[in-house]
Amino acid sequence: MTTEALLDTGRELIAPWTKEIAEPEARRLDAVIEAGDLLAAVEALHNAKWGYLSAITGLDQGVEAGIIEVLYHFCNEAAVLTLRVRVPREAPVVPSLYGLIQSVTFYERELMEMLGVTVTGTPNSDRLFLPEDWPDGVYPLRKDFRMEQLHEA
Amino acid sequence: MDPNIMQPQSLEMKQDGDKFVIPIGPQHPALKEPGHFEFTVDGETVTGATVRLGYVHRGIEKGAESRSYVQNMYLVERICGICSHIHATAFCQGVEQLAEVEVPPRARAIRTIIAELERIHSHLLWLGVAAHEAGFDMLFMYTWRDRETVMNLLEGITGNRVNYSANLLGGVKCDLTPEIITAIRTGLDFLEERTQHYLEVVTTDAMFLRRTQGIGVMTREQAESLGVVGPTARASGVARDVRVDSPYAAYSEFPVTMVVDPAGDLLARCVVRVKELFECYRVIREMLEHLPEGDLTTRMPRRIKPAETISRVEAPRGELLYFIKSNGTDTPERVKVRTPTLPALASVAEASVGHQLADIPMIISGIDPCFSCNDRMFTINDTRGNDKTMSWEALRQYGIEFYK
Repeated sequence: MTTEALLDTGRELIAPWTKEIAEPEARRLDAVIEAGDLLAAVEALHNAKWGYLSAITGLDQGVEAGIIEVLYHFCNEAAVLTLRVRVPREAPVVPSLYGLIQSVTFYERELMEMLGVTVTGTPNSDRLFLPEDWPDGVYPLRKDFRMEQLHEA
Repeated sequence: MDPNIMQPQSLEMKQDGDKFVIPIGPQHPALKEPGHFEFTVDGETVTGATVRLGYVHRGIEKGAESRSYVQNMYLVERICGICSHIHATAFCQGVEQLAEVEVPPRARAIRTIIAELERIHSHLLWLGVAAHEAGFDMLFMYTWRDRETVMNLLEGITGNRVNYSANLLGGVKCDLTPEIITAIRTGLDFLEERTQHYLEVVTTDAMFLRRTQGIGVMTREQAESLGVVGPTARASGVARDVRVDSPYAAYSEFPVTMVVDPAGDLLARCVVRVKELFECYRVIREMLEHLPEGDLTTRMPRRIKPAETISRVEAPRGELLYFIKSNGTDTPERVKVRTPTLPALASVAEASVGHQLADIPMIISGIDPCFSCNDRMFTINDTRGNDKTMSWEALRQYGIEFYK
């Protein structure tokens, strides 16, 4: 299948839950979906064997915007489909994909400790790679992270 | 998982019913990089495995947010000491996409040649490590001797043996002179002959086959569901290679053929990597034969307009993914890196279950793990981690009692 055909199939699979969709670059689709629809959209891609989950990116939009974006990148040959979930910065919660993709726990735990996003239903929410004595509630990849927070704690 | 695994007291062997947990690492005999593994064993058979990393984590993603694009090129090159060029290439390609800059054909070809030379160096290094884990030190010594040939070529081209710094945003900084092209051709002829010999050795040596054939089998279904990439996936019959699937740099002009083996065992992982070496030699020769003329660099803007991009390349260990977000300044808003070792490590937990404890070093090295790559951002912890650990001393005692 050509990359265009792959992207069209992907677009159709997630269409019921898509709020906005963009083609930021050739070979890429970027779909905004609600956190509550994430599992259904991923299940549709997973059941159709559309590519594989390549990475999860957490993006802090800053204190003023008050939003954290969680990006799920699915790759299928040259096509990359990104599911973009926007959650409030004060109480960021996304559901775990563990029920569909077992290997996702690594990505989810990184998201939790680096950006302070709560992933509900993930089997292990322990700290992953930050040191054991890293202070609670300090998330290094948030935009308002300061090194002084470590000294204060 | 026991949160105190780094504490000395937690390294004590404890018995939990008939279940023993054997901790290996962070400093351990099989690999030169730190990673902590805990294997639950029933007798000599492994029944579960957990992995914990993070011992060489350096916070590079956060660091990238406070450095300019030019500085970041040198920062990301230091994520990995083996595949440094491919990290810089992935980053440069991403920034060039954001700036909508076309890299001249000659620069793309030179980037690709260096990337393939790096793959040769990485695969030869891996073959040596795998041979060493199997107790085949002669093969280890020979492969690492021959690897010097490709290291010297890389030094000849770029001036550096490890972090080559061959890339610039918008091109490359080193040209291929007729002298170095002759040297590359001579080097490749020698390496091709040696590789022929290695292929014969790994597929016929009875001792090596005992350590690899049918060991650590990962089925195609497992590889697909774990999202494994690179030679580890291709050795399980999953045809996945970014160079073929989504050609970048000069791979659309100089295509490579994917090497796939359906067997899924350690032998297949050896054979796939060794056969990929022949493909490297072939494609480098072809590029040298038809090296495009022209400029090495193109003009790059210092500030990059706000946008997001994804850059994927095939590192020696598999797909490497960069997500870069720009914000209109000369500094990126966010750089996210997903290295190929991460999904591969998940396969260790899967592939080791049911095997003899003695096979573990081979299974771990079979995925060609690169912890420095990974620890830039990940620590892995398997879910089956509630077991108690046993100390080396107690394990030794256990062994002594066992053989009394």
